[in-house]
Amino acid sequence: MSLIHIALTGTQAAQAGLNATSQNIANVATPGYTRQSPLFVSVQTAGGARSAAAGVAVPALIRFSDAYQSQQLWRAGSDLGQHASSQPYLTQLEQVMGDDTSSISDGLDGFLRALNAATVEPTSTPLRQQVLTAANALGQRFNALSEVLANQLTSIHQQRAATVEQVNALASDVAILNSRIAAAQAVGAQDSSLLDARDRKIDALADLVGLQVVDQPDGTRDVSMRSGQPLVIGAVPAKLAIQVNPNGSQTVNLAFARESFVVPSIGLGGQLGGLEDTEDAVIVPLRQDLADIAGHIATQVNGLLASGFDLNGAPGGALFAFNPGSTTGMLTLAPGVTATGLGFSSNATDPGNSDRLLALVDMGNQPVTVSSLGTVLLGDADTQLLGKLGTASQQNQAAQATAQTVRDQAEENWKSTSGVNSDEEAVNLVQYQQMYQANMKVISVANTLFDATLQMVG
Amino acid sequence: MRIASSQYTATMNSALQSTSEKVEHLTAQMANGLRLQRPSDDPLASVRLSRLARADAIVSQYRDNIAALKSRLQTNESYLGGMSNDMQQARDLLVWAADGANSPADLASMATSLKSLQDSLFYTCNSKDQEGRYLFSGTASATPTITYDPTAAPGARYTFTGNTATQDVVVGSGIRQAANVSLDEMATLLNQVEVAATTLASGVNVNTPAVHAVVAGALDAIDVAMNSVGSKIAGQGGAQNILSTLDANHANVDEADQQAAIDIGQLDYGDAATQLNSYTVALQATQKAYAKVSQLSLFNVL
Repeated sequence: MSLIHIALTGTQAAQAGLNATSQNIANVATPGYTRQSPLFVSVQTAGGARSAAAGVAVPALIRFSDAYQSQQLWRAGSDLGQHASSQPYLTQLEQVMGDDTSSISDGLDGFLRALNAATVEPTSTPLRQQVLTAANALGQRFNALSEVLANQLTSIHQQRAATVEQVNALASDVAILNSRIAAAQAVGAQDSSLLDARDRKIDALADLVGLQVVDQPDGTRDVSMRSGQPLVIGAVPAKLAIQVNPNGSQTVNLAFARESFVVPSIGLGGQLGGLEDTEDAVIVPLRQDLADIAGHIATQVNGLLASGFDLNGAPGGALFAFNPGSTTGMLTLAPGVTATGLGFSSNATDPGNSDRLLALVDMGNQPVTVSSLGTVLLGDADTQLLGKLGTASQQNQAAQATAQTVRDQAEENWKSTSGVNSDEEAVNLVQYQQMYQANMKVISVANTLFDATLQMVG
Repeated sequence: MRIASSQYTATMNSALQSTSEKVEHLTAQMANGLRLQRPSDDPLASVRLSRLARADAIVSQYRDNIAALKSRLQTNESYLGGMSNDMQQARDLLVWAADGANSPADLASMATSLKSLQDSLFYTCNSKDQEGRYLFSGTASATPTITYDPTAAPGARYTFTGNTATQDVVVGSGIRQAANVSLDEMATLLNQVEVAATTLASGVNVNTPAVHAVVAGALDAIDVAMNSVGSKIAGQGGAQNILSTLDANHANVDEADQQAAIDIGQLDYGDAATQLNSYTVALQATQKAYAKVSQLSLFNVL
């Protein structure tokens, strides 16, 4: 092989290096871009003992990527998505339930205070009226919180429906990229940008739902949920769909090819998992607890009043109406209830008697059975629910902070391998430039040698 | 470890983000002076605060009850005091009437005074509150305390138609105080006074043993009733003293609770200001470091 040809392969290799470097520099700020570098291989020939070689070849571009780091990135993304999607719901609930002036505790205090005040003059109409007002205010606290919970549930359902659509879109993107990558690899074409695009899609998918990703020999990647249901196999995406159950809850179904599965609601991971956690572990139990407390208050108060007698000696009427199914009117004043109709007396002929009233006053110290708390004192039930919610929110915030740290770390690790460092590229640029110039010099020397030979001949 | 150029930006962003979050939290704390912005900031402390609020609500209600009860007891006291005065006057009249030197005309005029005192006592016994409920009928507050039946035999025309049950007011945890007194003794007195007034008005000689016995009987009845009412007045006064003590106890408990709530829930401004300062310094340092690092590029010297 001649000097001039060896130098030519050198300039071509330097050109490839300059191209790769300029591509890296151009993409220094592109998210998810994986840096590349040419692979230089010296070419040997069988041209005899005095023939050094046949120059340099660039058989491939090296793509600096580490599959393990990508997996780590996606796992961290799922954890972050899970905790981040619950937190807004928890924070809103905390603010509503923790507000001093609109909490159930405050409403119950107000009601008990009004009853307490009525003991001073159990026959006084203004004091009895105050009991009605405070009872109405207490009911409104329950209704307001129950409405917030219902709204949160609606919003979770909407978010889940939107998330499922996003999962479907991303899964079909990954499937399309899979088929293009397989086609490119079959003909040995450059596919780094396709791989980057697919990794970014998978990363977006991991934020939505926990994933397992498996590389296949043909360059495709199979993506499945943590529980094993497939999302993408080769070039075929699965399709998720929401099914609304008779009780208003949602089930996620997965259709792949001709099979259809119910996606288990535990351990989903990602935003879907976070929504599931919030719905199942916080909102639905809290609604039940709220109904337990409201039902207890209505039953106790109405029962005591019904066993008593009003100012006119008639049996006491109900104070509260409890509608467990209603969102906006869970606990309201019973229709037709009047101040004089409250049965505070235990004796039809003694309107000044306050036996039933005194029993009502003690209600806060009586036990109530709340589904998620067991048996607690009525006056303390809301406080304990708030404590429970506060702890759940605190734990989620801590978990979110940890997930964020892990994700940051994973991103840093990924960038450490795949990210572009412009100083490094500057050095490469100089190096390839010098390589190019040196090879051109070799060609020039070869040319001089050739001219000298020609002159000798001529 | 190899560092990618974009890592500087990412680190800077996340440092800015986390410091801003902390500064925002501190600013919110400083704005409302509350250490806990949300229950999750310290769930245990928020449970304690909620319980202290519960205790505060009930103790202040006890104190309101005590204030209202005291005014009821004072009202009772002044009615009873008035009755005591009336009874004293009736007693003076009867003592005077028992004097043998009185003529039947004197006695008749005394009887007129006695009759008006009797009516006054009767009306006071049946005192009502602003809503028309009888004050001294026990818990039978819709029924007159004393009922007058003109058709009954003299000496049995007044009957006590209330009851002696108490209206209990809650003034502390498990502590109740009666807000009412029943005037069950007054019917006997009114009957005796009526008999005396009727007898004295009928032109009798006071020296007649039968008349004298009527006057003496009425005097005895007044003494018994005055004793009884007097002890009820004392009872009202004693109850007010006990309520004052109880109120002071509640005030102490309330103050201790409020202090505890302040200790748990209020922000330590000094501490917060120091923290704010250190975050600000950290933020400035990060910004300066980034400004320096971002100027470092090999391309600048090529």
